[in-house]
Amino acid sequence: MQHCDPDELALAALGEQASPECAAHLADCAECQREVASLRRSVDVLAVPALAAPSQAMAPPPQVWAAIAAATGVAVSPRPAEMEAGLLRGIPMPTPTEVETDVPGSAGSPPAGATVMPFRSRSDRRPATRWLPLAAAVLVGGLIGAGAVAVTQDGAGGAVVAQTGLDPLPEQVASGTAEVRERGGVRELQVDLDVPTLDGSYYEVWLLQADAQRMVPVGIVQQGATVLRLPDGIDLAAFPLVDVSVEPLDGDPTHSGVSVVRGELST
Amino acid sequence: MSLLAVRLPPLGTVADVPTTQGSVQQSAEPDDSEVARRFVDGDEQALAWAYERWAAQVHGMAVRAFGPGPDAEDVTQQTFISAWTGRSRYRPDQGPLPAWLVGVCRHKIADTWAKRERQRRSTEAAASEARSAPTTGPGSELATEVADRVLLLGELNRIGQPQRSIIELAFFEDLTHAQIAARTGIPLGTVKSHIRRTLERLRDRLEVDGAALRS
Repeated sequence: MQHCDPDELALAALGEQASPECAAHLADCAECQREVASLRRSVDVLAVPALAAPSQAMAPPPQVWAAIAAATGVAVSPRPAEMEAGLLRGIPMPTPTEVETDVPGSAGSPPAGATVMPFRSRSDRRPATRWLPLAAAVLVGGLIGAGAVAVTQDGAGGAVVAQTGLDPLPEQVASGTAEVRERGGVRELQVDLDVPTLDGSYYEVWLLQADAQRMVPVGIVQQGATVLRLPDGIDLAAFPLVDVSVEPLDGDPTHSGVSVVRGELST
Repeated sequence: MSLLAVRLPPLGTVADVPTTQGSVQQSAEPDDSEVARRFVDGDEQALAWAYERWAAQVHGMAVRAFGPGPDAEDVTQQTFISAWTGRSRYRPDQGPLPAWLVGVCRHKIADTWAKRERQRRSTEAAASEARSAPTTGPGSELATEVADRVLLLGELNRIGQPQRSIIELAFFEDLTHAQIAARTGIPLGTVKSHIRRTLERLRDRLEVDGAALRS
Protein backbone atom coordinates (compact mmCIF):
# COMPACT_ATOMS: atom_id res chain seq x y z
CA MET A 1 0.00 0.00 0.00
CA GLN A 2 1.29 3.41 -0.97
CA HIS A 3 1.24 5.83 1.98
CA CYS A 4 0.59 9.52 1.59
CA ASP A 5 3.44 11.84 0.79
CA PRO A 6 4.75 13.16 4.14
CA ASP A 7 4.41 16.77 2.92
CA GLU A 8 0.73 16.11 2.20
CA LEU A 9 0.22 14.79 5.71
CA ALA A 10 1.76 17.94 7.14
CA LEU A 11 -0.66 20.06 5.10
CA ALA A 12 -3.53 17.90 6.35
CA ALA A 13 -2.34 18.60 9.91
CA LEU A 14 -2.64 22.31 9.11
CA GLY A 15 -6.22 21.71 8.04
CA GLU A 16 -5.58 21.97 4.31
CA GLN A 17 -7.34 19.76 1.83
CA ALA A 18 -5.13 16.81 0.93
CA SER A 19 -4.90 15.71 -2.69
CA PRO A 20 -7.73 13.35 -3.70
CA GLU A 21 -5.42 10.29 -3.72
CA CYS A 22 -4.03 11.11 -0.29
CA ALA A 23 -7.48 11.91 1.12
CA ALA A 24 -8.76 8.54 -0.10
CA HIS A 25 -5.80 6.71 1.41
CA LEU A 26 -5.95 8.68 4.66
CA ALA A 27 -9.53 7.64 5.26
CA ASP A 28 -8.42 4.01 5.66
CA CYS A 29 -4.83 4.19 6.92
CA ALA A 30 -4.38 4.27 10.69
CA GLU A 31 -0.66 4.92 10.36
CA CYS A 32 -1.12 8.05 8.23
CA GLN A 33 -3.92 9.21 10.55
CA ARG A 34 -1.60 8.91 13.55
CA GLU A 35 1.05 10.92 11.73
CA VAL A 36 -1.44 13.71 11.01
CA ALA A 37 -2.68 13.68 14.60
CA SER A 38 0.85 13.91 16.00
CA LEU A 39 1.73 16.81 13.71
CA ARG A 40 -1.52 18.56 14.50
CA ARG A 41 -0.74 19.01 18.17
CA SER A 42 1.46 22.08 17.60
CA VAL A 43 -1.12 23.50 15.18
CA ASP A 44 -3.82 23.17 17.84
CA VAL A 45 -1.61 24.81 20.44
CA LEU A 46 -0.32 27.75 18.37
CA ALA A 47 -2.81 28.46 15.60
CA VAL A 48 -5.33 30.06 17.93
CA PRO A 49 -7.09 33.38 17.27
CA ALA A 50 -5.57 35.07 20.32
CA LEU A 51 -2.07 34.62 18.88
CA ALA A 52 -2.97 35.54 15.30
CA ALA A 53 -1.34 38.46 13.52
CA PRO A 54 -2.61 41.83 14.77
CA SER A 55 -5.99 42.66 13.31
CA GLN A 56 -7.40 45.55 15.27
CA ALA A 57 -5.22 48.39 16.50
CA MET A 58 -6.15 49.93 19.82
CA ALA A 59 -4.44 52.81 21.57
CA PRO A 60 -3.11 51.74 24.97
CA PRO A 61 -4.13 54.02 27.85
CA PRO A 62 -1.51 56.52 29.07
CA GLN A 63 -0.61 54.54 32.20
CA VAL A 64 0.93 51.84 29.99
CA TRP A 65 3.68 54.16 28.80
CA ALA A 66 4.06 55.55 32.32
CA ALA A 67 4.78 52.02 33.58
CA ILE A 68 7.23 51.34 30.72
CA ALA A 69 9.05 54.61 31.40
CA ALA A 70 9.21 53.80 35.11
CA ALA A 71 10.54 50.29 34.50
CA THR A 72 13.11 51.24 31.87
CA GLY A 73 14.07 54.66 33.20
CA VAL A 74 13.72 56.32 29.80
CA ALA A 75 13.07 60.05 29.92
CA VAL A 76 11.50 60.55 26.49
CA SER A 77 7.79 60.28 25.73
CA PRO A 78 5.76 59.21 22.72
CA ARG A 79 3.97 62.08 20.96
CA PRO A 80 0.16 61.94 20.99
CA ALA A 81 -0.12 62.83 17.29
CA GLU A 82 2.24 60.01 16.36
CA MET A 83 0.31 57.62 18.59
CA GLU A 84 -2.79 58.53 16.57
CA ALA A 85 -0.93 57.79 13.37
CA GLY A 86 0.17 54.46 14.85
CA LEU A 87 -3.46 53.34 14.88
CA LEU A 88 -3.35 53.26 11.10
CA ARG A 89 -0.07 51.43 10.77
CA GLY A 90 0.31 47.82 9.79
CA ILE A 91 2.93 45.39 10.98
CA PRO A 92 5.31 44.47 8.18
CA MET A 93 6.07 40.78 8.27
CA PRO A 94 9.43 39.29 7.39
CA THR A 95 9.53 38.49 3.70
CA PRO A 96 11.46 35.27 3.38
CA THR A 97 13.40 34.50 0.26
CA GLU A 98 13.69 31.19 -1.45
CA VAL A 99 17.24 30.86 -0.16
CA GLU A 100 17.58 27.33 1.11
CA THR A 101 19.00 27.64 4.58
CA ASP A 102 19.09 23.97 5.38
CA VAL A 103 21.29 22.70 2.60
CA PRO A 104 24.62 21.37 3.89
CA GLY A 105 27.16 24.07 4.55
CA SER A 106 24.74 26.95 4.40
CA ALA A 107 22.96 26.67 7.73
CA GLY A 108 21.73 30.02 8.92
CA SER A 109 19.57 32.71 7.54
CA PRO A 110 19.15 34.47 4.25
CA PRO A 111 21.01 37.70 3.68
CA ALA A 112 19.68 40.63 5.65
CA GLY A 113 16.85 42.37 3.92
CA ALA A 114 16.89 40.05 0.95
CA THR A 115 13.50 39.69 -0.64
CA VAL A 116 11.95 38.59 -3.85
CA MET A 117 11.70 42.18 -5.01
CA PRO A 118 14.88 43.61 -6.44
CA PHE A 119 14.82 47.04 -4.83
CA ARG A 120 13.70 46.14 -1.35
CA SER A 121 17.03 46.04 0.41
CA ARG A 122 17.89 49.48 -0.88
CA SER A 123 14.61 51.11 0.01
CA ASP A 124 14.63 49.39 3.40
CA ARG A 125 17.73 51.26 4.37
CA ARG A 126 16.49 54.51 2.95
CA PRO A 127 15.90 57.18 5.56
CA ALA A 128 12.76 59.25 5.67
CA THR A 129 10.63 56.58 4.03
CA ARG A 130 7.61 57.71 5.96
CA TRP A 131 7.14 61.04 4.32
CA LEU A 132 7.88 59.92 0.78
CA PRO A 133 4.54 58.19 0.19
CA LEU A 134 2.68 61.20 1.51
CA ALA A 135 4.58 63.62 -0.62
CA ALA A 136 4.12 61.37 -3.62
CA ALA A 137 0.40 61.08 -3.07
CA VAL A 138 0.01 64.83 -2.80
CA LEU A 139 2.06 65.38 -5.89
CA VAL A 140 0.37 62.75 -7.98
CA GLY A 141 -2.95 64.30 -7.08
CA GLY A 142 -1.73 67.67 -8.21
CA LEU A 143 -0.16 66.42 -11.37
CA ILE A 144 -2.90 64.35 -12.86
CA GLY A 145 -3.61 65.85 -16.21
CA ALA A 146 -0.75 68.28 -15.89
CA GLY A 147 1.43 66.87 -18.61
CA ALA A 148 -0.04 66.62 -22.05
CA VAL A 149 0.43 63.28 -23.72
CA ALA A 150 2.70 63.83 -26.63
CA VAL A 151 4.51 61.35 -28.74
CA THR A 152 6.56 63.50 -31.02
CA GLN A 153 9.09 62.34 -33.50
CA ASP A 154 12.45 63.90 -32.88
CA GLY A 155 15.05 63.13 -35.49
CA ALA A 156 17.98 63.59 -33.14
CA GLY A 157 16.83 62.05 -29.86
CA GLY A 158 14.11 59.59 -30.85
CA ALA A 159 10.41 59.56 -30.02
CA VAL A 160 9.24 61.09 -26.80
CA VAL A 161 7.36 58.29 -25.08
CA ALA A 162 6.76 59.91 -21.70
CA GLN A 163 7.21 63.28 -20.09
CA THR A 164 6.44 65.36 -17.07
CA GLY A 165 7.01 68.70 -15.47
CA LEU A 166 9.11 68.53 -12.30
CA ASP A 167 7.59 70.45 -9.43
CA PRO A 168 9.38 71.49 -6.25
CA LEU A 169 8.70 69.60 -3.06
CA PRO A 170 7.74 71.66 -0.01
CA GLU A 171 10.50 74.03 1.10
CA GLN A 172 12.45 73.52 -2.13
CA VAL A 173 13.19 76.15 -4.75
CA ALA A 174 13.75 74.17 -7.91
CA SER A 175 11.92 73.15 -11.05
CA GLY A 176 12.43 71.30 -14.27
CA THR A 177 11.11 68.91 -16.85
CA ALA A 178 11.79 65.30 -17.69
CA GLU A 179 11.13 63.26 -20.79
CA VAL A 180 11.80 59.72 -21.90
CA ARG A 181 12.79 59.18 -25.50
CA GLU A 182 13.07 55.91 -27.32
CA ARG A 183 15.14 55.09 -30.34
CA GLY A 184 15.98 51.63 -31.59
CA GLY A 185 14.74 49.99 -28.41
CA VAL A 186 16.95 52.15 -26.20
CA ARG A 187 15.27 54.58 -23.84
CA GLU A 188 16.87 57.71 -22.48
CA LEU A 189 15.74 60.04 -19.75
CA GLN A 190 16.42 63.71 -20.31
CA VAL A 191 16.19 65.90 -17.25
CA ASP A 192 16.23 69.70 -17.53
CA LEU A 193 16.75 71.27 -14.15
CA ASP A 194 16.76 74.74 -12.70
CA VAL A 195 18.24 74.13 -9.28
CA PRO A 196 20.52 75.81 -6.71
CA THR A 197 24.26 75.11 -6.91
CA LEU A 198 25.42 72.54 -4.39
CA ASP A 199 28.62 72.27 -2.41
CA GLY A 200 29.65 68.88 -1.09
CA SER A 201 26.60 67.10 -2.44
CA TYR A 202 25.07 66.37 -5.81
CA TYR A 203 21.75 65.78 -7.54
CA GLU A 204 20.62 62.30 -8.44
CA VAL A 205 17.55 61.29 -10.45
CA TRP A 206 15.44 58.27 -9.54
CA LEU A 207 12.40 56.51 -10.91
CA LEU A 208 9.98 55.77 -8.08
CA GLN A 209 6.96 53.58 -7.74
CA ALA A 210 3.76 55.55 -7.32
CA ASP A 211 3.79 54.84 -3.58
CA ALA A 212 7.50 55.70 -3.39
CA GLN A 213 8.22 52.41 -1.67
CA ARG A 214 10.72 51.24 -4.26
CA MET A 215 12.97 53.09 -6.60
CA VAL A 216 15.62 52.78 -9.25
CA PRO A 217 18.57 55.18 -9.37
CA VAL A 218 19.08 56.46 -12.90
CA GLY A 219 22.09 58.69 -12.50
CA ILE A 220 23.66 61.98 -11.58
CA VAL A 221 22.10 65.17 -12.91
CA GLN A 222 22.96 68.84 -12.74
CA GLN A 223 21.72 72.31 -13.56
CA GLY A 224 20.62 72.38 -17.19
CA ALA A 225 20.05 69.32 -19.34
CA THR A 226 21.31 65.81 -18.62
CA VAL A 227 20.58 62.74 -20.74
CA LEU A 228 20.82 59.32 -19.11
CA ARG A 229 20.18 55.90 -20.51
CA LEU A 230 17.43 53.98 -18.71
CA PRO A 231 17.92 50.37 -17.65
CA ASP A 232 16.63 48.07 -20.37
CA GLY A 233 13.27 46.57 -19.53
CA ILE A 234 12.28 48.98 -16.80
CA ASP A 235 8.50 49.33 -16.69
CA LEU A 236 7.67 53.02 -16.59
CA ALA A 237 4.11 52.21 -15.57
CA ALA A 238 5.51 50.55 -12.45
CA PHE A 239 8.00 53.36 -11.78
CA PRO A 240 6.16 56.44 -12.99
CA LEU A 241 7.63 59.10 -10.69
CA VAL A 242 10.72 61.05 -11.66
CA ASP A 243 12.42 62.23 -8.49
CA VAL A 244 15.54 64.35 -8.10
CA SER A 245 17.28 64.17 -4.75
CA VAL A 246 20.21 65.87 -3.09
CA GLU A 247 22.80 63.24 -2.20
CA PRO A 248 25.62 63.97 0.19
CA LEU A 249 29.08 62.63 -0.70
CA ASP A 250 28.93 60.15 2.15
CA GLY A 251 29.31 56.93 0.24
CA ASP A 252 25.78 55.80 1.05
CA PRO A 253 24.21 54.76 -2.27
CA THR A 254 20.62 54.91 -1.01
CA HIS A 255 18.21 57.78 -1.47
CA SER A 256 18.98 60.55 1.02
CA GLY A 257 15.30 61.19 1.60
CA VAL A 258 15.79 64.80 0.49
CA SER A 259 14.01 65.36 -2.80
CA VAL A 260 13.94 68.70 -4.56
CA VAL A 261 11.58 68.10 -7.48
CA ARG A 262 9.25 65.37 -8.57
CA GLY A 263 6.81 64.63 -11.34
CA GLU A 264 4.73 61.80 -12.73
CA LEU A 265 5.48 60.59 -16.22
CA SER A 266 2.53 60.63 -18.55
CA THR A 267 2.88 58.12 -21.33
CA MET B 1 26.63 57.54 11.76
CA SER B 2 23.06 58.74 11.64
CA LEU B 3 21.69 58.81 8.15
CA LEU B 4 19.60 61.76 9.17
CA ALA B 5 22.63 63.75 10.21
CA VAL B 6 23.96 63.76 6.68
CA ARG B 7 21.05 65.55 5.11
CA LEU B 8 21.36 68.74 3.26
CA PRO B 9 23.53 71.36 4.95
CA PRO B 10 24.52 72.72 1.50
CA LEU B 11 20.98 73.86 0.77
CA GLY B 12 21.02 76.36 3.62
CA THR B 13 19.88 79.21 1.44
CA VAL B 14 16.94 77.17 0.25
CA ALA B 15 15.92 76.32 3.80
CA ASP B 16 15.42 80.02 4.49
CA VAL B 17 12.37 80.03 2.26
CA PRO B 18 9.31 80.17 4.50
CA THR B 19 7.35 76.93 4.35
CA THR B 20 5.01 74.84 6.42
CA GLN B 21 6.65 73.36 9.48
CA GLY B 22 4.89 70.05 9.05
CA SER B 23 6.98 68.83 6.20
CA VAL B 24 10.16 69.73 8.05
CA GLN B 25 9.00 67.63 10.99
CA GLN B 26 8.06 64.72 8.79
CA SER B 27 11.31 64.60 6.92
CA ALA B 28 13.10 64.33 10.26
CA GLU B 29 11.30 61.07 11.08
CA PRO B 30 13.53 58.02 10.78
CA ASP B 31 12.29 55.05 8.81
CA ASP B 32 11.50 51.76 10.52
CA SER B 33 14.89 50.20 9.99
CA GLU B 34 16.56 53.28 11.44
CA VAL B 35 14.28 53.04 14.48
CA ALA B 36 15.27 49.37 14.79
CA ARG B 37 18.96 50.16 14.55
CA ARG B 38 18.76 52.84 17.22
CA PHE B 39 16.55 50.63 19.37
CA VAL B 40 19.23 47.94 19.39
CA ASP B 41 21.83 50.60 20.16
CA GLY B 42 19.88 51.52 23.28
CA ASP B 43 18.79 54.97 22.08
CA GLU B 44 15.89 55.88 24.38
CA GLN B 45 14.23 57.94 21.68
CA ALA B 46 13.91 54.78 19.60
CA LEU B 47 11.83 53.14 22.33
CA ALA B 48 9.40 56.07 22.19
CA TRP B 49 9.32 55.88 18.37
CA ALA B 50 8.68 52.15 18.45
CA TYR B 51 5.88 52.73 20.94
CA GLU B 52 4.35 55.48 18.80
CA ARG B 53 4.38 53.28 15.75
CA TRP B 54 3.49 49.82 17.03
CA ALA B 55 1.98 49.99 20.52
CA ALA B 56 -1.54 50.21 19.07
CA GLN B 57 -1.06 46.95 17.13
CA VAL B 58 0.49 45.22 20.14
CA HIS B 59 -2.23 46.48 22.46
CA GLY B 60 -4.88 45.41 19.94
CA MET B 61 -3.53 41.84 20.21
CA ALA B 62 -3.48 42.00 24.01
CA VAL B 63 -7.06 43.27 24.13
CA ARG B 64 -8.15 40.57 21.70
CA ALA B 65 -6.70 37.95 24.07
CA PHE B 66 -7.85 39.34 27.42
CA GLY B 67 -10.37 42.09 26.75
CA PRO B 68 -9.70 45.70 27.70
CA GLY B 69 -8.32 46.11 31.20
CA PRO B 70 -5.35 45.41 33.45
CA ASP B 71 -4.30 42.08 31.88
CA ALA B 72 -4.13 43.53 28.36
CA GLU B 73 -2.35 46.64 29.61
CA ASP B 74 0.11 44.46 31.47
CA VAL B 75 0.83 42.44 28.30
CA THR B 76 1.48 45.59 26.24
CA GLN B 77 3.64 47.06 28.97
CA GLN B 78 5.61 43.82 29.46
CA THR B 79 6.07 43.47 25.69
CA PHE B 80 7.85 46.81 25.42
CA ILE B 81 9.80 46.47 28.67
CA SER B 82 10.95 43.00 27.71
CA ALA B 83 11.81 44.03 24.15
CA TRP B 84 13.81 46.96 25.47
CA THR B 85 15.75 45.06 28.11
CA GLY B 86 16.24 42.12 25.74
CA ARG B 87 16.98 44.22 22.67
CA SER B 88 20.33 42.51 22.12
CA ARG B 89 18.34 39.41 21.13
CA TYR B 90 16.69 41.20 18.22
CA ARG B 91 18.19 40.08 14.91
CA PRO B 92 17.46 42.46 12.02
CA ASP B 93 18.21 39.72 9.51
CA GLN B 94 15.32 37.67 10.90
CA GLY B 95 12.69 40.31 10.17
CA PRO B 96 11.53 43.85 10.91
CA LEU B 97 11.41 45.14 14.50
CA PRO B 98 7.58 45.36 14.60
CA ALA B 99 7.29 41.68 13.63
CA TRP B 100 9.67 40.87 16.48
CA LEU B 101 7.56 42.93 18.87
CA VAL B 102 4.51 40.94 17.82
CA GLY B 103 6.46 37.75 18.61
CA VAL B 104 7.38 39.11 22.05
CA CYS B 105 3.72 40.00 22.58
CA ARG B 106 2.72 36.40 21.78
CA HIS B 107 5.07 35.21 24.50
CA LYS B 108 3.58 37.65 26.98
CA ILE B 109 0.07 36.49 26.12
CA ALA B 110 1.09 32.85 26.55
CA ASP B 111 2.89 33.69 29.82
CA THR B 112 -0.21 35.44 31.11
CA TRP B 113 -2.36 32.38 30.34
CA ALA B 114 0.17 30.19 32.13
CA LYS B 115 0.20 32.52 35.13
CA ARG B 116 -3.59 32.52 35.29
CA GLU B 117 -3.60 28.76 35.07
CA ARG B 118 -1.10 28.45 37.93
CA GLN B 119 -3.21 30.79 40.03
CA ARG B 120 -6.31 28.81 39.24
CA ARG B 121 -4.64 25.56 40.22
CA SER B 122 -3.24 26.87 43.42
CA THR B 123 -6.63 28.25 44.37
CA GLU B 124 -8.14 24.92 43.46
CA ALA B 125 -5.48 23.04 45.39
CA ALA B 126 -6.11 25.14 48.45
CA ALA B 127 -9.83 24.50 48.10
CA SER B 128 -9.38 20.72 47.68
CA GLU B 129 -6.97 20.56 50.55
CA ALA B 130 -9.67 22.09 52.66
CA ARG B 131 -12.01 19.38 51.37
CA SER B 132 -9.32 16.64 51.52
CA ALA B 133 -9.99 15.81 47.88
CA PRO B 134 -7.51 14.95 45.10
CA THR B 135 -6.36 17.90 42.99
CA THR B 136 -6.38 16.30 39.59
CA GLY B 137 -9.43 16.72 37.47
CA PRO B 138 -10.83 18.88 34.72
CA GLY B 139 -8.50 21.70 33.84
CA SER B 140 -5.32 19.62 33.59
CA GLU B 141 -5.79 19.46 29.82
CA LEU B 142 -5.91 23.24 29.78
CA ALA B 143 -2.80 23.33 31.95
CA THR B 144 -1.00 21.10 29.44
CA GLU B 145 -2.03 23.33 26.59
CA VAL B 146 -0.90 26.59 28.15
CA ALA B 147 2.45 25.06 29.11
CA ASP B 148 2.97 23.60 25.63
CA ARG B 149 2.17 26.96 24.10
CA VAL B 150 4.97 28.63 26.03
CA LEU B 151 7.32 25.80 25.08
CA LEU B 152 6.48 25.91 21.36
CA LEU B 153 6.66 29.71 21.07
CA GLY B 154 10.17 29.38 22.49
CA GLU B 155 11.00 26.74 19.89
CA LEU B 156 9.64 28.95 17.09
CA ASN B 157 12.17 31.60 18.08
CA ARG B 158 14.97 29.17 17.41
CA ILE B 159 13.85 28.38 13.88
CA GLY B 160 15.75 30.26 11.19
CA GLN B 161 14.38 32.03 8.16
CA PRO B 162 12.67 31.41 5.86
CA GLN B 163 11.20 28.43 7.73
CA ARG B 164 9.96 30.54 10.61
CA SER B 165 8.15 33.06 8.46
CA ILE B 166 6.56 30.26 6.47
CA ILE B 167 5.14 28.52 9.53
CA GLU B 168 4.10 31.83 11.06
CA LEU B 169 2.15 32.72 7.94
CA ALA B 170 0.40 29.34 8.25
CA PHE B 171 -0.23 29.56 11.99
CA PHE B 172 -0.87 33.24 12.54
CA GLU B 173 -2.15 34.52 9.21
CA ASP B 174 -4.04 31.37 8.34
CA LEU B 175 -2.59 31.17 4.84
CA THR B 176 -2.57 27.99 2.80
CA HIS B 177 0.73 26.70 1.45
CA ALA B 178 -0.26 27.99 -1.99
CA GLN B 179 -0.93 31.46 -0.59
CA ILE B 180 2.38 31.38 1.26
CA ALA B 181 4.18 30.47 -1.95
CA ALA B 182 2.43 33.31 -3.77
CA ARG B 183 3.13 35.78 -0.98
CA THR B 184 6.82 34.94 -0.62
CA GLY B 185 7.80 33.84 -4.10
CA ILE B 186 9.15 30.60 -2.64
CA PRO B 187 8.35 27.55 -4.80
CA LEU B 188 5.35 25.50 -3.72
CA GLY B 189 7.34 22.32 -3.14
CA THR B 190 9.85 24.15 -0.96
CA VAL B 191 7.07 25.70 1.12
CA LYS B 192 5.52 22.27 1.62
CA SER B 193 8.72 20.60 2.74
CA HIS B 194 9.57 23.49 5.08
CA ILE B 195 6.12 23.18 6.64
CA ARG B 196 6.57 19.44 7.15
CA ARG B 197 10.01 19.74 8.66
CA THR B 198 8.93 22.53 10.99
CA LEU B 199 5.87 20.59 12.19
CA GLU B 200 8.10 17.56 12.78
CA ARG B 201 10.52 19.70 14.73
CA LEU B 202 7.73 21.12 16.90
CA ARG B 203 6.37 17.61 17.46
CA ASP B 204 9.82 16.42 18.55
CA ARG B 205 10.04 19.30 20.97
CA LEU B 206 6.68 18.35 22.49
CA GLU B 207 7.69 14.71 22.71
CA VAL B 208 10.88 15.58 24.56
CA ASP B 209 9.68 18.40 26.80
CA GLY B 210 5.91 18.55 26.42
CA ALA B 211 3.76 19.09 29.49
CA ALA B 212 1.73 15.93 28.82
CA LEU B 213 4.79 13.77 29.52
CA ARG B 214 5.80 15.62 32.63
CA SER B 215 2.42 15.59 34.33
